[in-house]
Amino acid sequence: MIRAKRSFGGFALLGGLLVIAFLTNLSLGSVEIPLSDTLRWLTGGDTTQANWTYIIREYRLPKALTALLTGSGLALCGLLMQTLFRNPLAGPFVLGISSGASLGAALLIMGASLLAPTAAAWAVSDLSLAVASSLGSLLVLLTVLLVATRLRDAMALLIVGLMFGSITAAVVTVLSSFSQAEQLQQYIFWSYGSVGSLSWGQLGLLSLVFLIGSGISIWLLKGMNALLLGENYAVSLGIPIKRLRLWILLATGLLAGGITAFAGPIAFVGLAVPHLTRQLLPTSDHRLLMPGVLLFGGILMLICDTVAQLPFTSYVLPINAITSVVGAPVVIWLLLRRNRMLF
Amino acid sequence: MAAGCKDQPQGESALPDTGGTASLDVKYARGFEARTDPQGITYLTIRNPWPGASKEYKYALVPREKLAAITFPANAYDAVIPVPVERLVLTSTTHIPALEILDATNTLVGFPGLDYISSPAIRKKIESGSVSELGANEQLNTEMVLAAAPEVVVGFGVSDAPGAYRPVSDAGIPVIFNGDWMEQNPLGKAEWIKFFGLLLDAGSRAGEHFREVERAYIEARDLATGAPERPTVLSGALYRDIWYLPGGESWAAAFIEDANARYLWQDASGSGSLSLSLEAVLEKGAGADFWIAPAQFTSYTEMEAANPHYRQFRAFRERRIFGYAATRGPGKGLLYYEMAPTRPDWVLKDLVHFLHPGFLPDYQPVFFKPLDP
Repeated sequence: MIRAKRSFGGFALLGGLLVIAFLTNLSLGSVEIPLSDTLRWLTGGDTTQANWTYIIREYRLPKALTALLTGSGLALCGLLMQTLFRNPLAGPFVLGISSGASLGAALLIMGASLLAPTAAAWAVSDLSLAVASSLGSLLVLLTVLLVATRLRDAMALLIVGLMFGSITAAVVTVLSSFSQAEQLQQYIFWSYGSVGSLSWGQLGLLSLVFLIGSGISIWLLKGMNALLLGENYAVSLGIPIKRLRLWILLATGLLAGGITAFAGPIAFVGLAVPHLTRQLLPTSDHRLLMPGVLLFGGILMLICDTVAQLPFTSYVLPINAITSVVGAPVVIWLLLRRNRMLF
Repeated sequence: MAAGCKDQPQGESALPDTGGTASLDVKYARGFEARTDPQGITYLTIRNPWPGASKEYKYALVPREKLAAITFPANAYDAVIPVPVERLVLTSTTHIPALEILDATNTLVGFPGLDYISSPAIRKKIESGSVSELGANEQLNTEMVLAAAPEVVVGFGVSDAPGAYRPVSDAGIPVIFNGDWMEQNPLGKAEWIKFFGLLLDAGSRAGEHFREVERAYIEARDLATGAPERPTVLSGALYRDIWYLPGGESWAAAFIEDANARYLWQDASGSGSLSLSLEAVLEKGAGADFWIAPAQFTSYTEMEAANPHYRQFRAFRERRIFGYAATRGPGKGLLYYEMAPTRPDWVLKDLVHFLHPGFLPDYQPVFFKPLDP
């Protein structure tokens, strides 16, 4: 098809950029490891220094893969949400999912210390944080799904999601007011987001979540294209709207909740990437947009992580700061050219 | 009461005369200084109670019996405080040991976060009900503070926005800021006991205690210089993928240097915490001889479960890690946070005992312990 041919150039560019971004992310970091060593290791050889192999294999590689999955997953969620609500400002966390995850994390970090002080110090591990935050987002998701079965209007669902976000934020505020400085600090550090703390096992779990979420999304592509025409048109095309909505919510909840559970809340990637992708691929066909968004999301996250690592210095920036610095101007630019929006 | 003195417009003995005043002997601390005039009034100046403090704080400490007769120009001092203080509110566990050392445990009437106090003498007072719970952290419950009716609140701030103390001082209770946490010199931090000595009219006792601590500290430091080697030391731990550890100019780093060991980040500027990437710490610290103070960890199993990257560190594999997180008082708080600022000699001796085995063979460490398996 003509459209596909025109987009082929865009995909080739995105694919190439992804490979470059991945390699760059692997080779840049606080420790100066020459590119030749990184490439040699990738092709099965050895690095000049033993601990470089450890750094690349056990730290940078899982980090790059996590960034890739996180960026792609969140971007896909953003696409799903923007189509469902036909609103360019919707993002993966518009249903209150990241607020639910924050609630879970806050209950573990700050609540545990109120109930069982001496146990709390070791109860908060990466794994327990992941479990707690996924339970939190699951709770919010289930509530949203329940409400969604009773609501006709997508806009009302959006507002309900925002309200759940406010409720969970309020509970977190109350917990914070009772907490000591150390717990507060731990919670804040969690909210910075981090892609470098996953073990191989956790990465495997994240990949599984990603595969299931994107698998469901592939199945929903035709319905999403129809949704863009408006709900009534979609119904006339024979698309079961209520079921479609539920599945979109489920896919988003799974992806966004799972990602937030492992990497903390990552801001703006889900919101900005679909728009950036639409600039590159001039289409509204989700069958082209979805792979585009997955690639672009991965690229963006890899670049943000490379910057956050502040290469050649030993300092590190929180990744949320970088994604926000990138994402916020995109949102402003969006608001300025609203008349040319697809919605 | 004290506010009444401040508001009276004219004063006969308005400003102190410089002739005949005695200065408080302060050798290491940089945050406070005091002069006492012939009438017995002490003028205390607190400098830099928090980073970027915009002004110095001046306090007049007046002997109780003279309080009614003395008047000061309004706003000449940030607070006028009757000494010896009989009803005191403290806001940090680092202030607590001074009460026990200066034999003034009866003066404490309130504290925010009673559960964190370790001192046995104060815990007895808490159990007898004479100390009120005043809230958590910097959020002093104003009503509870007013109900406790203290004569002075010893507060601490982290920025120019005093927040919690404004309603207290507006209600007429003098607030005095303690800047001991800003001192990076271990002896300077310990010297703040003289600050409490002024408030509790126990100056000679405070001076005596400090001289003893100073002597023991210098003795330990001199002993350490005789060690055959200067081991390399790592500190801190990972949270998520960022490693937090003390800066080179911090109080914690000063102890390591005084124990005749080489802290690997001695040259990193900053007196607070550094946030470094795991890579940087691996590169520099994987071969460190010892690891001091690994954040909140108390056992090797815990560390291994938290992050497998710790196995890359020699000090972890050879089991040469020492921390203070396992040493708790009867309350929820760590003994180190409460007592270490006042007893740097014990901290230094702990470090010398572990970093130079055989140098203090009969010494029983107070704060630091080897990690459990």
